[in-house]
Amino acid sequence: MTSSGRTIVACLLGFSSATAAALATHEGATARPLLPAAQQASFNRDIAPILFRYCSPCHRPGEAGPFPLLTYADAKARARQIAVLTSKRFMPPWLPEPQELKFADELRLSDEQIALIQEWVEQGTVEGAPADLPPAPQFVPGWQLGRPDEIIEAEKPYTLPASGSDMYWNFIFRTPVDRTRWLKAIEIRPGDKRVIHHANILVDRNQSARRQETEPRAGFPGMELKIESENFDPDSHFLFWKPGTVPKPEPEGMSLRLDKDTDLVLNIHLQPSGKPEKIQPNLGLYFTDKPATHFPLLLQLEKDKQLDIPAGEKRFLVTDEFTLPVDVDLLAIYPHAHYLGKDLQALATLPDGSAKTLIHIPQWNLNWQAVYHYADPVPLPKGTTISMRYIYDNSSQNLANPNDPPRRVTAGNRSSDEMAHLWLQVLPHASLNADFDPRMLLQESMARHNLEKNPADFEAHYNLGAMLQARGAQAEAIQNFELALRLRPQDATANNALGAALLAAGRIGEAMPYLNAALRAQPDNFNAHYNLANALVSQDKFLEAIEHYRAALRLHPDDANAEANLGGALAETGQLSEAKQHFQRALRIDPNHKLARENLEQINSDPKNLQQ
Amino acid sequence: MRRRSLTLRQLLSFFLAIAAAAPLLLALPSSPAAQKTALNLDGTPADPFLAASGKPVVLIFVRTDCPISNRYAPLIQRISSQYGPKVALWLVYPSRTSSAEKIRQHEQDYGYKLPALRDPQHALVTQAQVQVTPEAAVFDANHRLLYHGRIDDLYQDFGRARPTATTHELDDAIRAALNGKTPPPNAPGVGCYIADLE
Repeated sequence: MTSSGRTIVACLLGFSSATAAALATHEGATARPLLPAAQQASFNRDIAPILFRYCSPCHRPGEAGPFPLLTYADAKARARQIAVLTSKRFMPPWLPEPQELKFADELRLSDEQIALIQEWVEQGTVEGAPADLPPAPQFVPGWQLGRPDEIIEAEKPYTLPASGSDMYWNFIFRTPVDRTRWLKAIEIRPGDKRVIHHANILVDRNQSARRQETEPRAGFPGMELKIESENFDPDSHFLFWKPGTVPKPEPEGMSLRLDKDTDLVLNIHLQPSGKPEKIQPNLGLYFTDKPATHFPLLLQLEKDKQLDIPAGEKRFLVTDEFTLPVDVDLLAIYPHAHYLGKDLQALATLPDGSAKTLIHIPQWNLNWQAVYHYADPVPLPKGTTISMRYIYDNSSQNLANPNDPPRRVTAGNRSSDEMAHLWLQVLPHASLNADFDPRMLLQESMARHNLEKNPADFEAHYNLGAMLQARGAQAEAIQNFELALRLRPQDATANNALGAALLAAGRIGEAMPYLNAALRAQPDNFNAHYNLANALVSQDKFLEAIEHYRAALRLHPDDANAEANLGGALAETGQLSEAKQHFQRALRIDPNHKLARENLEQINSDPKNLQQ
Repeated sequence: MRRRSLTLRQLLSFFLAIAAAAPLLLALPSSPAAQKTALNLDGTPADPFLAASGKPVVLIFVRTDCPISNRYAPLIQRISSQYGPKVALWLVYPSRTSSAEKIRQHEQDYGYKLPALRDPQHALVTQAQVQVTPEAAVFDANHRLLYHGRIDDLYQDFGRARPTATTHELDDAIRAALNGKTPPPNAPGVGCYIADLE
């Protein structure tokens, strides 16, 4: 009989949102006429192509733009507003400065385009010749990727109050799959797009967010979330929506795994509109039969610990640096700060000493935060140092400052706290050694890096322990779990992990107190019941083990390992017919379960057993 | 970096140029029908001053499709309830095309309980010297314009909203009209340009 130890990797994924100021850099937008003196700017020839490409995708019925911009009449009725907002570069919303590494779907107007709009308005909004008008843009109505394979709706709506400051709400979607499926896309339809600034999905493989609901299935407020994930399953995909997002299927081979009992948590940033708004989002799931063959990873640089910004401080600098232990392709980037963020920059310094700007946002605006995908993957060789450099403005001149008068601000999950996060979606280059998962090396380096910054980082000790455990470095794994527990002695997850690691090292007597402690802290901890049962089996305490397997199965009725091991423990106590039922059940859940099959065959082959 | 104010000034002079051009065109038909007037929702001519002799008059200019003015709906309603019959407070819709029915629906959607006027010819817009929705104009008991401009400083610019307002010009101006105190200085609002409605 084998007993498989379980470990849990806690991955913390904090997403959220901030505000700020897309203040005009408007260099000479009215400087020179772009058209020959005799020629007037016309809507049909000059303005419509700009409008159709940059404005209409959001400014049309049902989308986020508060009014349509599809026709000459639409544009004329907002002409001055268009001229002012484009000259300030507030619209279209695009925060990054131009740079060598291009992003996909850049929404940035050129200086020439902006000047042309000013000219058109100053010259009296001429319509122009009908022959000059390009064809109207065609938009797909409804679901952008076609009819989803499954549509799931939030179970209870949330009603946004008519007034007040920005609101952050989380909806938990129970996924409708009865087995592991692969997703090529999730389309988010958050609800009335005019009140929703952005939304993103966190994959909650442990149903851990449900504990935050005060009323079951009603969702819960909050800007940043903590999601624990079982086993080594680091977050891999940005599942982000902002106004104007046209969803794209994941690249070939990068499908997203969706297991039975996984929750999808949709975090939405809302802004009151003046009347109460009922929000009940939908998710469209698009399946594929192609499992993932490429495994990207979300890396996080952060320096929240450095965030202690005195009241009135105008330029508070926060930096972090991480050196890549493997070759990767950088696919996308997501800078994140709250309302005090001002100038956000990320750089890559390659081993040959050359430097590349990965992103630079000189006027951060939380309301327009976004995930930026590179037009082409950016190869970053092993040894590349990625650095983030964020500047915060905690003075009263920062209008988005949540405190009036300014007060000292430190890191935290509330919107009035601050954050210094930089997320990178990287795809590690394939390893020649099939047993070696480069993501684990990245995760291990990341945990070590976090411990250098903060030796009292519980999650980093925990994650490092889990990575070491996974690659068989048991002694160091145990040491890190012990350090994690010293920081949070009552933590059920860490107690279970240390217990499981000791169990795996054969130190069964030492493991028991930690597994028991995990259950005291969290009586419905499946993993602790399961691991404790395995420990009891190793000590031949089968009757006690049976109780814990049963408790584990009450929590996860479809766990093949727990069923098989319960069968084994029952067989040891001579309860063969019940043992048989559990082996059979394990095989129904997982027809390839080797242990269950072997044990079942052994019972069936023994004539004495058959008599029972 | 600090060229933003320059941009604004250019735009202001641009508006003036438009305004100067308009009377020239309207000068041609010299019939009495050319006299501009606001309208009640039933289509009859409206004069909010006539009905409010000896009382301050407050006009708040909004639009059905202006997100910033809509966001102010709860505050406008609160101010209206707070001062009650002490002032004559009106919502003014300067759109030429919004029907009375659309305006009634808008009032209902946003919980407005104060009377509304249509101002398709911008008679009140001109009198109140407002440029965007939402802006307010406060006239004292003698119906002299005391204040026109923003409701408060929630928005400093498009996309630059404070978490909460730190000044409350409309409220201060109404109190000044009631107490004979000095009104706050006029401050331009942030929102949708009324001139775009021409």
